[in-house]
Amino acid sequence: MNIMKKTQRFTLIGAGLFLLTGLIQVQAQELKFIMCGGEVRAADQKVIDAFKASHPGVKVDMQAVPWGTCQDKSMTLAAAGDPVSLAYMGSRTLKRLGKNNLIVPVTIPEKDQEKYQPGILKTVSSMGKFWGFPHAFSTKALFINCGMIEKAGMQCVGPHTWEGMYQMAKTVKDKLGVAGVGLVAKDFDNTMHQFLNYLYSNGGQVIDPDTNKVTLNSPQTVETLEFYGKLASVAQEGPTAFERSQVKDLFNDEKVAMYIDGPWGGGQHKKTLKTIAVPIPAGPSGNNGTLLITDSIAVFKGTGHEDVAMELARALSSGNAQYELDSSWGLTPIMKYETFIDNPYYVNSSYWKVFVDSIGSGGPEPMFLEYKSVESLMNNMIQGIVMGEGGSAADLVATAAAELEEFK
Amino acid sequence: MSSKNLAYNSLWQRLVRSHAFYAWLLIAPAALFLFTIVGWPLIETVRLSFTNAGLGGEEYIGFYNYEKLFSNRKYPGIVGRTFYWMFLSVSLKMILGLIGALLLNVKLRGRAAFRVLVMPPWIVPMAIGCIGWLWVYNGHFGILAGVLMHLGILDGPFEFLAYRNSAFYSAVITDVWVGTPMVTVFFLAAMQGVSQDLYEAAYVDGASRWYRFRRITIPQIMPVILTMALLSAIWTFNSFEIIWILTEGGPRGATTTMIIDTYKMAIANYKFGYGATRALMVVMLLAIFSLLYLVLLNKVNERFKVK
Repeated sequence: MNIMKKTQRFTLIGAGLFLLTGLIQVQAQELKFIMCGGEVRAADQKVIDAFKASHPGVKVDMQAVPWGTCQDKSMTLAAAGDPVSLAYMGSRTLKRLGKNNLIVPVTIPEKDQEKYQPGILKTVSSMGKFWGFPHAFSTKALFINCGMIEKAGMQCVGPHTWEGMYQMAKTVKDKLGVAGVGLVAKDFDNTMHQFLNYLYSNGGQVIDPDTNKVTLNSPQTVETLEFYGKLASVAQEGPTAFERSQVKDLFNDEKVAMYIDGPWGGGQHKKTLKTIAVPIPAGPSGNNGTLLITDSIAVFKGTGHEDVAMELARALSSGNAQYELDSSWGLTPIMKYETFIDNPYYVNSSYWKVFVDSIGSGGPEPMFLEYKSVESLMNNMIQGIVMGEGGSAADLVATAAAELEEFK
Repeated sequence: MSSKNLAYNSLWQRLVRSHAFYAWLLIAPAALFLFTIVGWPLIETVRLSFTNAGLGGEEYIGFYNYEKLFSNRKYPGIVGRTFYWMFLSVSLKMILGLIGALLLNVKLRGRAAFRVLVMPPWIVPMAIGCIGWLWVYNGHFGILAGVLMHLGILDGPFEFLAYRNSAFYSAVITDVWVGTPMVTVFFLAAMQGVSQDLYEAAYVDGASRWYRFRRITIPQIMPVILTMALLSAIWTFNSFEIIWILTEGGPRGATTTMIIDTYKMAIANYKFGYGATRALMVVMLLAIFSLLYLVLLNKVNERFKVK
């Protein structure tokens, strides 16, 4: 009888331990992955499938969330103590997440660092560490509707300077009665991004990533803001109601003759339009520049399986997998693929040359602790010049620069 | 059984049989429910307002959030704008609601159909209605600018949401569009409850339509008008979706009311502590407003001899 009882007890304990171990193992192997943008690209899915195949027992729970709510979701879950394993999100969020100890720093070996285009790793670095694997990259160019330019009696050649750009836009406005340029100034992230394209084309900067000193209050920024205000006079009616995709719609309807967009823009324009993409014209104090904007894969702290998540993040952003994504999506190449892949998609392409050549002279998205507050401040400054409120360009820049100090 | 136990049992039985105990017993589930969904979050908000709660945890910081809020030079403007927004929007809803109710109360063939036609702005999900208004206000593709250009009032596209004043008043119009049907329906119901004898007696005495409206209709429906005005004021004060969908509080804060400001601070910027301070300001201002309003309501009721 005693033996029977002991056997039963051991069996129960054994079964309990077995179930518990199994449960822990299953939990440890389930990676929750938030993918901002609302879809999982085929190139990424291929890597995830291969990862699952090579890691038996690992489950990857993908959640594709639209950009509007995605970053908030990942950050709020982490703040609430229920972090996802990894998330693909804007690199601008990394500094805050890192500072608040919610993500783990990543290691990118030196030989891999050399593969990236110049400036890319600055978009994920802060406090002397890398906080994510850069996974999508874009530069910008000026798209021009040649049909409209020629109709206005000009040759369709990209302007090299701001003055040339303004004169071209003014001629279109005077001769055709429609907007010469599409300008964005809505309360939206790409308003700040658009302004930064001009700022980096005039030698300006928002914050020095090396010293963490706010450098916005400079003659270059004042010149840029003044130019933005000047462009408003030849832009579409009410720029403060427009963000980039709305301006693209106007461009497709031939209601604006030119606007700034990323490399995907070419594929989103009406096929009937005759367009060219040219570098963003240089300001009086700078050279052709662009905003280097990246999205990254961050690994969250506190899941108990950070190492497995890190392995997947690394696999997704490794050279060949990353090339698959960039080439199929039509992104600016995030790495110098020509150094390890034969004849990559952008080599020998006049279209891609515009987006690739500007990388060297581009500037990163400024890294602040509170990127939304920064975005709001910058947009307020831009709307000020467009609406003629808040004083001169110098006043607006000085006010914004002073307020930025709180968020660095 | 000991005498102590007997006394205890007797006390317990008296308590159980008392009316007060029975009343508390009946109220308890509702009270518990209210405490859970109103009391506890309010207590938690008060607690948070004394912390620097954010993404990285929280620490007690005393009155720092309040000091920061009261020294914020933009905040008085936001408070003033919120009250102006509420006053303007509620006034328009009351006036249009009253006119609408009067018209729908007229004996007319097909009256039921007209009454149904008033409802869509209230029935349509607010987000969908607001997206519709976004298109109405669009200067390049919208119907409003199109009609005004066609009539020669505008000589080109005009973006209604791009300028300080036009964005604010556009948001007010949308809020009035959403809120008026409910006011109309409530006023109509109140008007239908007014005794016809009063109108007939006044008519026999030679009272004009205007006199009858002023001296019979208005006093008789006054309790409903005042109650609706208070409810509408609270809803309008806290109206979020309309402004957020149309302008997100812009341009340059022209449509930022206290609730939009609180959302931006607490949720968009993850400053839960500072956001809680702003949320408490909303609660306190609304409480003070409601208190003053109820005092006024009593005085008006006395004036119109309404019980």
